[in-house]
Amino acid sequence: MGKAIIKIIVGLVIGAGLFMGTMAFDFPPVFRWLFFGYAVLGTIVFLILDAPTMKVMSGGKALVSLLVFYAVLCTVFISGASLWPQYDPEDEKGKIVKLLKGKPNLLDPWKAEEVIARAKDLDQKAKELTERIKALGAAQAPAGQEAGGAGAPPATTGAAGGDVLKLGEEQWQLQECYNCHKLKGEGGKKRGPELDNIGTLLPQDEIARKILDPKAYKAEGFDAEYEKGKMPDKYKDLMEPKDVQALAAWLSTFKNTSVNTPKPIKMK
Amino acid sequence: MVLFALLALFGGAAYAQAPGTPSVEFPYTGNRTAVWIVAQLHILFAGFILGAPIFVVISEWLGYRKQDPRYDRLAKEVTKVTVILYSMTALTGGLFIFVLLATYPQFTTWLINHFFMVFAVIYPLLFIGETIVLYLYFYTWDAWKGNKKARHIALGVLLNLIGSITLFVIDGPTSFMNTPVKAEGVSPAEFLATATIWDKMFNYSWMPLNLHRLVGNVTFGGFVAGLIAAYMYMGSTKDEERSYYDWMGFVGNMIGVGALLFLPFMGYLLAYELCDYDASICPYMMADQLSMFFEMQGAMIGLIFLASNYYIWLSMKRIEGVEKVRMTILAPIVMVALPLVMTKVLTDYPAPDPKSLMFLLPMLLAPAVLGRFIPITVSSRTVIKIGFLMVVVGNAIWMTPHGFVPTGAKLVAELELPSDWNFLALMPAKNSAAFTLVFVTVVNYIIYNRAVTQGTIVWGKIDYASQFVLIFLAFSAIWTMGLMGAVRSLLRKYFHTYNLLPDFTAESFTPTLAYSAWYITGITVVFYAVVSFAIIVTLRASHPKEQAHEGEAVPAGAK
Repeated sequence: MGKAIIKIIVGLVIGAGLFMGTMAFDFPPVFRWLFFGYAVLGTIVFLILDAPTMKVMSGGKALVSLLVFYAVLCTVFISGASLWPQYDPEDEKGKIVKLLKGKPNLLDPWKAEEVIARAKDLDQKAKELTERIKALGAAQAPAGQEAGGAGAPPATTGAAGGDVLKLGEEQWQLQECYNCHKLKGEGGKKRGPELDNIGTLLPQDEIARKILDPKAYKAEGFDAEYEKGKMPDKYKDLMEPKDVQALAAWLSTFKNTSVNTPKPIKMK
Repeated sequence: MVLFALLALFGGAAYAQAPGTPSVEFPYTGNRTAVWIVAQLHILFAGFILGAPIFVVISEWLGYRKQDPRYDRLAKEVTKVTVILYSMTALTGGLFIFVLLATYPQFTTWLINHFFMVFAVIYPLLFIGETIVLYLYFYTWDAWKGNKKARHIALGVLLNLIGSITLFVIDGPTSFMNTPVKAEGVSPAEFLATATIWDKMFNYSWMPLNLHRLVGNVTFGGFVAGLIAAYMYMGSTKDEERSYYDWMGFVGNMIGVGALLFLPFMGYLLAYELCDYDASICPYMMADQLSMFFEMQGAMIGLIFLASNYYIWLSMKRIEGVEKVRMTILAPIVMVALPLVMTKVLTDYPAPDPKSLMFLLPMLLAPAVLGRFIPITVSSRTVIKIGFLMVVVGNAIWMTPHGFVPTGAKLVAELELPSDWNFLALMPAKNSAAFTLVFVTVVNYIIYNRAVTQGTIVWGKIDYASQFVLIFLAFSAIWTMGLMGAVRSLLRKYFHTYNLLPDFTAESFTPTLAYSAWYITGITVVFYAVVSFAIIVTLRASHPKEQAHEGEAVPAGAK
């Protein structure tokens, strides 16, 4: 028992040391607690190492202990996974809807499910209208047939309505270009060049060409990335031409000469 | 699987005639989760029936070579469980294709059409061949003894050969969904139209997936063998039975851990190829939507390594004379220095730069080479305890994220590592953490082997807690398989087949880790329940408490 208390004290001292140390190095509070947690984990491990031998169990007692053990495992794994920061699927759902809007469904070019659903919907409406006509008389027109009713096609709204630069910025977000390129001080993990001065170095059409054909230009100092084809050659298939042009137009407005955007070298 | 093949053959044609067939809506779970549950269950059963025979045949061979009947008994008992789980693999395979056809009829038809030869001819033939060989292998066990044992082992090798080919074949369509064939300057759809079936099979992630699954299946099979041993040990009433199942648990754990040592590297290879295929997959995995899945993976692997080393610790306790075992002081020194030195070397010379090996290899080999000339030694107990400390340190490095946010887009300074310490979140540090875990485990096994040769092992006297460790290892390994299986599927983002066929359903988003954890746990529990049932039916039932009195012989025709 005495040994266990000493281990707990040592664990707490190490934990406190890690907490204070990380505080001194300006780690955010969440990381200080994380490091303290590691010290707690270490303490538990060393307590278990010298724990007394477990007595042999049999029959019902062994079965109950087994079931309790499984229940504990399930609880620990589920709660452990739930403790990490959770991604909000709603953020992605909106993006996916925008990305797939207007894209052809190769598996269902006739949009069979949509057509069947609409046919059912229309059938239902027809029945309702028939009932209403019967009730009200043939002279009165049903309100549902007016423009903009439930059956009307959805109106195009937002960026697609005409604001090219806004559409370009939206494409930057949708295609997640920020994962590789830094812009306005945000995003990028040095996988691709920082783009704040790209507008000075490349005209809009050439930016569009680089998006569609990544091998068209090489950024100075990014030889290895160019050779490995780090920039995916997929946007010509995934993006609409107007979206590519909008993204290129938006990027061409970035002319911050104080940022060292690598010089594009024409390769094709 | 036979059902799967038949449905592939006829279902494809049936659905091809009805392209507009609406899909069903699964209640409660939704369609995607329904497919997830059935597919994961199928993969777990299939993983065991493909992984277990690999070490079963090795165990049988060891028994033959060493003339140790324990190896033969282990091999036969695991094969008995495999035969039962083989049926479950076929059942869940059939269920999988039913659910797929009901929920995603058009995509399933599309995939079957692209791999028609695989689904309709090659896969069913392999499956039938595997069934015949498995049953032959099992039912000739007692008949092919003595002089015929080599023949029986050869049959086991053939079984593994067919099993591995089956795995490789079915990995073709699976990996194709992640990394479909492509060529520079040609759209994926255009290239696919001219691609041969071999082009489709031999895609970017096919071979890495084959290797990853092959090693993963052996790991999984080893840990399930440990689970079988734990159950039987807990249910044993005789000392000789406890002695045998203690030994079996140790062997199962050793196989599981032995294969586990290679698993992180196979995982890296797969991730490397995926990132090479499309660099945008990398941030999606490591910095964006799936980043916390990888944090959880780090936690799970850390726990598995902790548990497997704890099992060695408990195993050492039952060795008489273990206190005499000592080791060179260089071993703990290298253990402590490894994370720091390796992080620095891999930062300066990123893998696969050979210069990194020039620095690291001498360091790793120093205890074995220089240790002979340095007289200072430390006790095995001290080395193992330092090892545990370093496993905790390794876990800590592996689990420290760049930011406490689920996506890079939500990163703010209050949740981000200070820039001077950002190296803790980069790949060199993560690789060094993984390697530290592997190195410590290898050192612990070397110590254990020395203890066995210098001392006397008392089988059957292991701490009872070790049985819970074996159960924990199997449960955690299965859970981690489920987690990484989900990750591999989710890497397709909002596509059925990446960058080729978008998934237009409302369920094509990335689910949360918490939501995934509920289902992974549920799937693990169901799998565990079935495996537990199979163990009890095949092994417990075949161990009668007392030999029943057979009675007197009764002449034929007697009344």
